Amino acid sequence: MSGLDVITAALIFLVVGAVITALIARYRTVCGYVASVIVLIVSIWIAMVAWQALTRGPIHSVYVIPFLNIFLPFTVDGLGAIFLLITSLVATCATLFSVQYMSRYPRYNLASYYPLLLLFFACVIGEVSTHNMLLFLVFWEVMALTSWGLIIFEKHDPEVRRAGWIYFVAIHAATACILVAIIILYLQTPTKSFELSQMRQVMANWLVVSPGLAHITLGLLALGFATKAGILPFGFWLPHAHPAAPSPFSAVLSGLMVKMGVHGLLVTFVMLLPLSSASTVGGIVIALLGTISIFVATLTALQQRDSKRLLAFHTIGQMGYIWLGLGTGLALLRISPALATVALIAGLFHMINHAAFKSLLFLNAGAALYRTGTRDMDKAGGLIRIMPVTAITAIIASLSIAGIPGFNGFASKWLIFASSIMAGIKLPLFVFLAIIAIFISAVTLASFMKFLGMLFLGKLHVGPEVEHREVPLTMTVSQVLTAIPCVLFGVLPILVMKYLYTAVSSTLPAGFSPTFASLFGRSLLNATVSLPGSSTPTGIWGPLVILIAFAGCLALAYLISRMGGAKTREVPMWLCGEEHSFEEVRYPVHSFLLPFNRFFASLYPAHFDTDVSSSGHSDETVNTKVRQ
Amino acid sequence: MTFAINIGMALFIGPLVAGIVRKMVRARVHSRQGPPIIQPFYDLFKLLGKEDLESSPSLLLRYAPLVAFAAILAAALLTPMGLRPPLGGYGDMIVFAYLITIAAVAVMMAGLICASPYSMVGASRELMMHLVVEPVLIICLVTATIKSGSLLMWDMAGWNYVNGLSISMVVAGIALFLALQAQVGKLPFDIPEAETEIMGGPFIELSGPKLALFQWAFFARQIVYASVLAAIFIPWGIKFIFPWNVAAHLLKIIVLIVLVGLIDVVNPRLKINQAMKYFFGVIAVALIAMVLALLGL
Repeated sequence: MSGLDVITAALIFLVVGAVITALIARYRTVCGYVASVIVLIVSIWIAMVAWQALTRGPIHSVYVIPFLNIFLPFTVDGLGAIFLLITSLVATCATLFSVQYMSRYPRYNLASYYPLLLLFFACVIGEVSTHNMLLFLVFWEVMALTSWGLIIFEKHDPEVRRAGWIYFVAIHAATACILVAIIILYLQTPTKSFELSQMRQVMANWLVVSPGLAHITLGLLALGFATKAGILPFGFWLPHAHPAAPSPFSAVLSGLMVKMGVHGLLVTFVMLLPLSSASTVGGIVIALLGTISIFVATLTALQQRDSKRLLAFHTIGQMGYIWLGLGTGLALLRISPALATVALIAGLFHMINHAAFKSLLFLNAGAALYRTGTRDMDKAGGLIRIMPVTAITAIIASLSIAGIPGFNGFASKWLIFASSIMAGIKLPLFVFLAIIAIFISAVTLASFMKFLGMLFLGKLHVGPEVEHREVPLTMTVSQVLTAIPCVLFGVLPILVMKYLYTAVSSTLPAGFSPTFASLFGRSLLNATVSLPGSSTPTGIWGPLVILIAFAGCLALAYLISRMGGAKTREVPMWLCGEEHSFEEVRYPVHSFLLPFNRFFASLYPAHFDTDVSSSGHSDETVNTKVRQ
Repeated sequence: MTFAINIGMALFIGPLVAGIVRKMVRARVHSRQGPPIIQPFYDLFKLLGKEDLESSPSLLLRYAPLVAFAAILAAALLTPMGLRPPLGGYGDMIVFAYLITIAAVAVMMAGLICASPYSMVGASRELMMHLVVEPVLIICLVTATIKSGSLLMWDMAGWNYVNGLSISMVVAGIALFLALQAQVGKLPFDIPEAETEIMGGPFIELSGPKLALFQWAFFARQIVYASVLAAIFIPWGIKFIFPWNVAAHLLKIIVLIVLVGLIDVVNPRLKINQAMKYFFGVIAVALIAMVLALLGL
């Protein structure tokens, strides 16, 4: 694909698509389908480019804008390829989901939705495929503006406008940090260049002659990217902005946009910063920030009654896992190359998985909102009885995010835990981070038990106006599509790890990482982690064998349950002889975790989420109860 | 053959030891005769033939008991029970901890689907207990990982055997024993089921084979947890030749479960918040063990 510049072609196609969708926005459904087709074509295209970059090495190209003589240098490296693959999945499913979903907003003009969405995808693609920091900044800023436009889509709602305002300020503060850092670096390059490789030399020079300046620059970049990634305490905008956006775009925000912060972080600490003691310090800080996010955000999520707000808090928590993995990797770069490689792969793996299951969860919440018209989990429940496909994909996504073996979330969490526990033998701090992460993983499970239990399982409980029907086909298809990687990567994690290894080891200095086979073994069935200096593998996860054994045990359990030839009969529920209507005895959402919330009330900031509450009244009641 | 030993231990020793505890410990403390030792088997078989009454028909509810049962058996295949665990080469301690979690999730699912207020309360309590008890197991196993440098349970046991007892492992073993009481669902921590107040909690609407499977899974869970404690933290006897290493393991878990049964008989049930407070203390003990291990003790 040398002659034609692939990335520019994809960008031009998306920009043209944006113009077309703006023109035909009056034909709402047609416009949605046109946008979906455009995104689908671009997705397949960039997935092929990414595949080539992963299997044959980086793709370089320069596009010259005719007449203006402006050079646009693009480089798709291994790392960028991983992000391109995520983009193609999330973009396709979210756009397809929008087609019917946007019928929720008959009063709004779709010319302020699809064109912005397509431009947003163009910026994401451009941003991860360039090594030129000026181009990077341009894409970064346009991405911030388009995403802001999409978040405030429901302009008439004052809460949405307020969320949009918070987002706008936070994200521009982040951009300012990054801008300053890049300008400082630019001024120091000998040939006044924005190329990453030249800046890397400046950085290497600084570490020797003026380490203070180097650390300030790194700090500014890290601050900017942490804000974008939603890492606490800088990610305060996220729980406001994510629920405010239309659901498909919430999926894109959580599945894709916060990942740009991860990409920026890796560019800063792996590509820009040469191997030095600064990477160890940076890694420890990143892992600490990640763990703080895991802890605070997930515990705050437990209190939520608003389904999308709950998911937004979990996004911060799961980003924390990614940062823990990456931070462990960066901290170990100079101590143990083998373990560092494993930890970086772990972080990236969780990022891919998070893109799949979190987009899916937002689509599920969106489907529930589409059908029931409420995000309050106390006002709707038992949706599995009217929306089986949505409910089953929601179960898959919840089990994935909770890290149940056999789903993708487990495979990556397993790697993160294993690498941070093993890192703890050399840097004891990491054991404690690992323990917190494992414990909060159980809390995540608790939170999603609530989400599933209240919204999808149990007795059907919806308003009288609600149609008892599954959501339209485009919505179910996009949910099922997003569910596929959740299951596939859970069963065959080694396939993904192999390509992540290519991405990570090509980003690190040549010959730095041990070979794939020596780290993860040769078997395709088992994901094993072996560290140099130990004769037996350190950790093992063989999904297929364990799942087959599990299936065998399941068959045995079935045989035992049929042994007595028991008959089944339907009976009414037994409430100790008293007659109650279901409404009277319904167990409310906030009671479910009350003992735990009370216990932890002193440990985390309960004020944190009372600020902009989209369901208003609910959180206050929960908090007063917790306070007692 | 190790398959047969591990599955057999989990399936048959569990109810048998429960029978021993009822006859030899509880009945003796109550000064009464007590049921025959194999009474738990009679109960299970009787339940398997009983009519299955469903108040909230749901596919998930139908599969929840099967999943709980299968998850515990799969965890048993990863647990060292005197011999190298049959699937030890395919899953480490993180996998083990999550398989155990699946069983707890299945119980909660069952409680949530039933939609009876009692089962909802039971599911909520099951979750609370899981959140405070599971970390103890994890921290103790991490302690063993720090000492042995491996995440595989059999390697941990081997390391402990070869290198002799260390302070950190002893403290971790004590913490794990304190948590064992709740892990096997015994008084004073049988709060999720609490027959006298919420009538079995998550199981209130279950009958027949569904109830039998859950009960059987719980019996097996006792053996699995006791085995982890016995094999890794009390490594005596794991290097004996074949029948004797299994016999030594059996002896250890019977002693452990009888001790647990004794504590069960002489204690009243705690409230959920009291239990949580207690377990934060146990978690602190486990963390001390881990710090000791990090210090190289």
